[in-house]
Amino acid sequence: MSELALFFSYEFTLLALVAGLLASVLGGVLGTFVVVKRLVFIAGGISHAAFAGLGFFYWLGHDPLIGAVLVAVAAALFLGLFSEGQARSQDAMIGVLWAGGMAVGVLFIHMTPGYAPNLMTYLFGDILTVAPRDVVLLAILTAITLVLLAVLHRGLVAVAFDETFARVQGVPVRVLTLLLLVLVALAVILLIQVVGIVLLLALFTLPPMIGLMLVSRSFGLVLLAAVLVGMLMTAGGIAASWTMDLPTGPAIVLTGIVIGVGVWGVKALRFRFRGNS
Amino acid sequence: MVPLLQLQDVTFGYDREPVLRDVNLQIHDCDFLAIIGPNGGGKTTLLRLILGLETPWSGRVHWAGGGLPRIGYVPQFSTFDRNFPLRLRETVMMGRIGHRGWLRRRTRADGEAVDRVLTDLGLAAFAEQPIADLSGGQLQRALIARAMVCEPEILFLDEPTASVDAETRGTLANLLAELNRQIPVVVVTHDVTAMAVHVKQIACVNRRLFYHGSGQLSHSQLEEAYGCPVELIAHGVPHRLLHAHDECGNE
Repeated sequence: MSELALFFSYEFTLLALVAGLLASVLGGVLGTFVVVKRLVFIAGGISHAAFAGLGFFYWLGHDPLIGAVLVAVAAALFLGLFSEGQARSQDAMIGVLWAGGMAVGVLFIHMTPGYAPNLMTYLFGDILTVAPRDVVLLAILTAITLVLLAVLHRGLVAVAFDETFARVQGVPVRVLTLLLLVLVALAVILLIQVVGIVLLLALFTLPPMIGLMLVSRSFGLVLLAAVLVGMLMTAGGIAASWTMDLPTGPAIVLTGIVIGVGVWGVKALRFRFRGNS
Repeated sequence: MVPLLQLQDVTFGYDREPVLRDVNLQIHDCDFLAIIGPNGGGKTTLLRLILGLETPWSGRVHWAGGGLPRIGYVPQFSTFDRNFPLRLRETVMMGRIGHRGWLRRRTRADGEAVDRVLTDLGLAAFAEQPIADLSGGQLQRALIARAMVCEPEILFLDEPTASVDAETRGTLANLLAELNRQIPVVVVTHDVTAMAVHVKQIACVNRRLFYHGSGQLSHSQLEEAYGCPVELIAHGVPHRLLHAHDECGNE
């Protein structure tokens, strides 16, 4: 109990917790769209491509965050506009952006004289070192995302469910898809700080997957479930990392996987004992 | 009589080769048109052009009112995720988006329209069920309900019999015939037998539009369209509008 009291007595741990909860909202809401629209690898490509901008701006001596945002948004628009009717080339292009972005980023960080930043932090994240500015940015982006969701949800859900039907109904499918990708790109950049480039896909995929396992009646409830699962996952991960002295990124991801396996197991057992009803 | 929809010399393709060439087609107010033809012959492409999802390379797609009318559209099952977390009622509600615009909030009138269509199509009892739990026939009716709820001026169905069993095909054909009393119905299908009794016009599409009319299809016309001999089976009680046929070869 004293350990818990200690946890809440530090400013940086509280900041980490707030960052984790905001990341859960972003990851849960945007991730659910990403999962049902099968954009997971586009999100992965965007996050890895962003590393090029991050490294380049670091080398220039500017704020790496700005470089990452510029490249991520450009990659999102590029992949979004590239997508129509060219699934194979888009798939390959994601791979090119993925590897190319990492290569460029690592190269520039290598070329930068003086103390090299810890690559591990970018790759795997460290929520306990999250800066107040990043938490503010996370809060702003979360607020923007929620407002857009409130205003556009009919169109967004229609596009997520059945694009062609939505187009016939006059919904601007392309604009909404691009908007979604840009929001994903911005979220990806801010989530790099929380769980790192390599692990951030977990925040976009695990909570929505678990949410979809729990709820089949309403898309809105899936969003809510995904957000709550994400919160459980990040808070649990931070707690595990704090008590067992583990790196936070992997602790968050593995907590999520444990929750997912648990939910799946309970569902499988119930299915078995109740029969198909 | 002015046709509701007129396609004039429409040519269109996705890459360099046109998928459809010089297609002419008219749809009138009371039509029940079946667009048939072999797989890959351009049936779905023709539908996409009519729906305004593609722009023709040349020629024109002209609607009587100038712009697109309110269109009811029933897609193939393969175009969406059957496990998507939605209740039947919410799925049908999506059909109201086109009625007043996608940015508007839903109104009481929307809810009433949905309830009416659900009752008309015998789906009221399943309204609160997730679509993942519906049978093929129920889901097919749900998609028709979603198309009808916008009070369309014309109804299009893409391969409506592909994913349902034989019994459902019969009820589906009767349902469409009933809807056809109010609005024109256009069915894209490679299996015209299920609809044969009710269909009034046929358009046979394979790169070009080979036949369009309401008389009996002849062997030679079908052979011309399919590019190979086609077996015809007499069909169409009570008024024997057309012969039905198998797909040629395996494709």
